[in-house]
Amino acid sequence: MWLRALILSFCHWCNNSFFGHGIRNSVWLFPFVEIFHLLGLGVLGGTILILNLRLLGLIFRNGRVSELARDVRPWLLGSLAVMLVSGFLLFSTEAVKMYGNWAFRSKMTFLLLAIIFTFTIHRKVTTSDESKLSPVWRTLVALISLVLWAGVGLGGRAIGYVTTAATSASIWTP
Amino acid sequence: MWFANFLQWLSNTPFSITMRESTWAEPIVETIHVLTLTLFVGFAVLLDLRLLGVCLRRKKVSEALAQLNPWLFGGFAVMVVTGTLLFSGDPVSFYNTKPPFFVAKMIMLVLAGLNIVIFNLTVGRKVADWDTNPKTPRGAKVAGIVSIVLWVLIVAAGRAIAYVLPLP
Repeated sequence: MWLRALILSFCHWCNNSFFGHGIRNSVWLFPFVEIFHLLGLGVLGGTILILNLRLLGLIFRNGRVSELARDVRPWLLGSLAVMLVSGFLLFSTEAVKMYGNWAFRSKMTFLLLAIIFTFTIHRKVTTSDESKLSPVWRTLVALISLVLWAGVGLGGRAIGYVTTAATSASIWTP
Repeated sequence: MWFANFLQWLSNTPFSITMRESTWAEPIVETIHVLTLTLFVGFAVLLDLRLLGVCLRRKKVSEALAQLNPWLFGGFAVMVVTGTLLFSGDPVSFYNTKPPFFVAKMIMLVLAGLNIVIFNLTVGRKVADWDTNPKTPRGAKVAGIVSIVLWVLIVAAGRAIAYVLPLP
């Protein structure tokens, strides 16, 4: 129970913070931050997909997995940072409302699992010597990663449909 | 005039009406459109970054092109089909938004296509000369930057359309 209270008070704090307040009351800031979130989605999704397609043996079959992983890692980390910062800013504009939004909650659950998985098992599999890995394990890791990140994406998409249409559409209406 | 008539005709087709009035059609199609961004824009940007010599540096440019192209074509096909479906749900409104984000997006899509054609006719044609070089020629860098800028603006314009469309 104390955890719930802590999270809820954090949501209130975000709502009332200068950025939450500022973005909420600006015509341009919300769409502006949202576009960064979408562009981050493109690059983060692209790097996650390319790694998992490689694990599944569907792309760049001639090169090593670890080589591809090293190549795309800075872009994966950079775009994840853009996603987390822009996502947090968007969240802060209606943090208390998000607290009770089931789509947002499931997105955060998937996000937590996806990040833990990416930086532990997935990282280990994509950086280790592939001759020592069984193809079944590699396929399984790729599929788990895809499912977890798809959960994040679908949850994010659903947030907009769960909140009332008026809040998101009213920004531009004169 | 004929174009306005065409849009009017399109919006009265049973197909368009279904797209507009069904509870699930629009959210499902839009979700596919947005999430395929990861495949299409994500891979396009990775390829552009290779042309700039800042990502996938250990791969030959020709290999990156050959490996990514089938996925880019597939992703683009999904984007065009879902995008056309979304457009057909309310063609008159899409075409007439103020500011004209939809028209701007279509023009930029044509420019992105032109950029690919120009690349293939010029520096891309001689890819064998600079294939393994992590440092890429100026023409390739220009094509990469033009492409990234256009895709960023296309995504931004696409998002902006939803802000200016009238509420259903």
